[in-house]
Amino acid sequence: MSILRSIAGGLRSLFRKEQVSKELNEELNGFLEMAAEEKMKQGMSRKDALRAVRLERGSLEVTMEVVRAAGWESFLETCWQDLRFAARILRKTPGFTTVAVLTLAVGIGANAAIFSYIDAWFIKPLPYPQPGRLVIFETQDKKHGWTSGGVTSAADFFDFQKQNTSFEQTVAWGGASLNLTGDGLPELVDGGRVSWNFFDTLGAKPILGRTFTAEDDRSGAPHVAILSQGLWQGRYAGDPQIIGRNIAIGGEAYTVVGVMPGTFQLPLMGIANLWTPLPLTDMERADRGNVWLPAFGRLKRGVTLEQARAETATFFAHLEKEFPKTNTNLTWLVSSMTDRIRREEGGPEVMICFVVVGLVLLIACANVANLMLARATTRAREFAVRGALGATRRRLAGQLLTESLLLFLVGGLASLLFASWGMRWIESQIPGHIRGYIVNYGHVELDFSMLMFTLGITLLCGLVFGFAPAFENSRLDANHTLKETSGQTSGSKRGARLRRIFVAAEIALAVVVLISATLLVKSFIISVRSSPGYNPANVLVAQLALPKTKYTEDSQLRNFSDEVLSRIRVLPGAASTSVASHVPFGGFGQGVEFQVAGKPLQPGERQGAPLTAVSADYFSTMQIGLVKGRFFDSSDAYGISPSIIISQTMARQVLSGEDPIGKKLRLGEQHSVGTIVGIVNDIKMYYLRERPGWHIYVPLAQFPSRTFGFVLRSSGDPTIMATAIRDAIWAVDRDQPISSVEPLENLIAVVSSGDRVVADLMVFFSVLAMFLGAIGIYGVMAHLVLQRIHEIGIRMALGASPAHVMRMILSQGLKLGLGGVGAGMIAALGATRLLATQLYQVTPTDPLTFISVPLLFAIVALAACYVPAWRGMRVDPMVALRCE
Amino acid sequence: MADKPSDLVQGTLDMLILKMLALEPMHGYGIAVRLEQMSQGVFRLNAGSLFVAVQRLQRDGLIRGEWKATENSRRAKYYALTEQGRKRLNGEIREWGRQVAAIARILETS
Repeated sequence: MSILRSIAGGLRSLFRKEQVSKELNEELNGFLEMAAEEKMKQGMSRKDALRAVRLERGSLEVTMEVVRAAGWESFLETCWQDLRFAARILRKTPGFTTVAVLTLAVGIGANAAIFSYIDAWFIKPLPYPQPGRLVIFETQDKKHGWTSGGVTSAADFFDFQKQNTSFEQTVAWGGASLNLTGDGLPELVDGGRVSWNFFDTLGAKPILGRTFTAEDDRSGAPHVAILSQGLWQGRYAGDPQIIGRNIAIGGEAYTVVGVMPGTFQLPLMGIANLWTPLPLTDMERADRGNVWLPAFGRLKRGVTLEQARAETATFFAHLEKEFPKTNTNLTWLVSSMTDRIRREEGGPEVMICFVVVGLVLLIACANVANLMLARATTRAREFAVRGALGATRRRLAGQLLTESLLLFLVGGLASLLFASWGMRWIESQIPGHIRGYIVNYGHVELDFSMLMFTLGITLLCGLVFGFAPAFENSRLDANHTLKETSGQTSGSKRGARLRRIFVAAEIALAVVVLISATLLVKSFIISVRSSPGYNPANVLVAQLALPKTKYTEDSQLRNFSDEVLSRIRVLPGAASTSVASHVPFGGFGQGVEFQVAGKPLQPGERQGAPLTAVSADYFSTMQIGLVKGRFFDSSDAYGISPSIIISQTMARQVLSGEDPIGKKLRLGEQHSVGTIVGIVNDIKMYYLRERPGWHIYVPLAQFPSRTFGFVLRSSGDPTIMATAIRDAIWAVDRDQPISSVEPLENLIAVVSSGDRVVADLMVFFSVLAMFLGAIGIYGVMAHLVLQRIHEIGIRMALGASPAHVMRMILSQGLKLGLGGVGAGMIAALGATRLLATQLYQVTPTDPLTFISVPLLFAIVALAACYVPAWRGMRVDPMVALRCE
Repeated sequence: MADKPSDLVQGTLDMLILKMLALEPMHGYGIAVRLEQMSQGVFRLNAGSLFVAVQRLQRDGLIRGEWKATENSRRAKYYALTEQGRKRLNGEIREWGRQVAAIARILETS
């Protein structure tokens, strides 16, 4: 109640200022008059009485002020006054204001941009209802510790689905590339084959039609499909009659029953534009040995993850006993879908960027603080006068703090613009098909949490970095300052030292940023330049997959690839051609389990390696080096005991010490035993930063494949061969969709695009940091010279040569710069240790970097000092001595 | 001069002013004079402290102000205790008594 009254009183004071003031005035006057009358009764004259009262009880003006200041509304008024004054001051010095605002906009903007990614990828929950209840199942080997990478066996899944009690729904799915024919050019569309409850479990609603029902999943049910909004509006031109329309997938007729909105995405699946029910035969459903089916589920309300884990543990213990041959040591790892998706997002890279932009922000703030400090010393007189007139130190400091807060807020606003530019640039650098795997892609934008973050940072930095000038200036000794002859003071010693500390700290931070960035960029360049084991230059790759319905026999697969290959071989400009089941950086691969004959595995122990089926001249087309033995040749034809070529690391690690040539490997369950005939160099299959791994090659003739990557090494630019390859393929099969025709270098670039973005950002930030650091030094040195002009004049008048003056100034600047650089190097030695996991063939204490960066900085510092020093040198002593 | 009242804790000054007004409604100068008299010169208020306290008490609803004519037919603002002010005063006096007794006890023992 009293609070309300207090507020009312304050509001009245604010809005009825005149009246309140008049009343108070009258009351105080009355008070002083009555007091004076008392005194006059004692015999004083009126004049003396009034004067005595003023001394004893306080003067009218001061009392008015005191009473007025006691109300809460006066604080508001003060703030408002300060704000208006600050705005006026900032407008009067447009140069300073622009520089400061720009600096802040870039510093804060970069932080806001990176934060919005952190928010979208790691903080915001998945865009499904109650995402905390979604979990992923994957098979795990308890004894040997390996996990299957997000998949399980079909039989295990369906048994669990029937018998579990913890889950509301369980879903199996698989990514798929689906051939769309009819209605235009044959197109290979990324999509998924899913259990009927896929969409319902995720809580996704269609924009047209319906999702799948249990009916659709029965074997023998009519084929149905669901499109994405993008596919519907693209290939089918937004046909309003799309529901019920028949489309041809893989040569068979499917009825469209629904369309999903463009915002729907399961990051584990990547970009998907087309879904059909999962067509598993009864035999496939009963298959317990092959672990390949991705699956997830939604917990029942009230069931915790621990309870679910307990249930699966019991369930699988039971399965272990019942099916020892396939399930020994196996169980399910049940993990939260959110955690799993977040783990894939490249946390370390984003965190590194976040730290770097944080450092850049500190540098920017230090610069702005220095600018404010410098400006404050030129206004020292103004504050001295105000202090003499009665302004309290608190009031003056408040004024300065308001100025800096206003500056930072304007910078913060400008930063939003900069942030959105930055984010748009980053998104443009991420290639198309990768985007599907990134959570919330396209929906990372300026939203509430980002605005809050920006505001928070702005206020925090404004307060922290505004404090120094506020503190400094309110402390000046009015007497001393007013007696100074020059409009600028010699500045308090403390103020100058503060600025030097700021600049040294700035430089140290900039050195840390530069060293870290250089290490990362160097690592990136090395990873890009280092040989992947083959020569990707001038190589064109055409990838496709033959549909099961059309190509049912192995002989058909073989004929297809032979025919296409024979056509491509004779193309003008084709130096060398071959084909493989998978190409490096093609985006997918195949693995196989193997056993070395004579080295049986323990029960439950498994051993696998990537497997590629290749045509005989694959190695020569790709220019993969032979280490021992031979390549495949015409003797490795169909029907004969298979030949095998393995990679060097595999030879070393699996058959340690022994000569691999002639050894026998058993591949998978169904495949027969093959003989190792050669060893080749290691190659990079998926990532530039890959460690060398195992690889098994088999002849395509003996291991027919459904997927193909036709490899063509051209004598010139490979892109001109693209149409020719397409025509060759379509000459063999008119309706065969081709998933991609790209130079191999492009495929590699796409995969390394994430690293490239980080490297580009690092370059940008390090240039920015160095630029800001240079400006910082320049600013301090210029101000220093200005402050010491008097002293310089005296020295020159006493006989110092200009060169001497220059040396003096330069040495001071250099001391400052070197101090900062030294501190930065020491800090960097500690900091770069954190980067170790991200570096490829570069040590965290790479000597070349640690020598060249500080050297570069020393040169920059020297250059920044040069201009002020030169100016100082040219001072005319007569002018300097007279300088006011 | 005589800035002693500003050494008084804010709450104590409020309590004393309330007590003054409990005796009879007064204007500002009257409060100051009466306080000086009753404290035998120990408490001499200056205008600032007095009117800041008065404004505060007014805003908290403990006293009510009214413009009236004085004996010398001059206009002055007279303040009187409100019901709430009376209750607050009684509470403060009780609390003050408790604290004084406690302090006395402590000082006695040492």
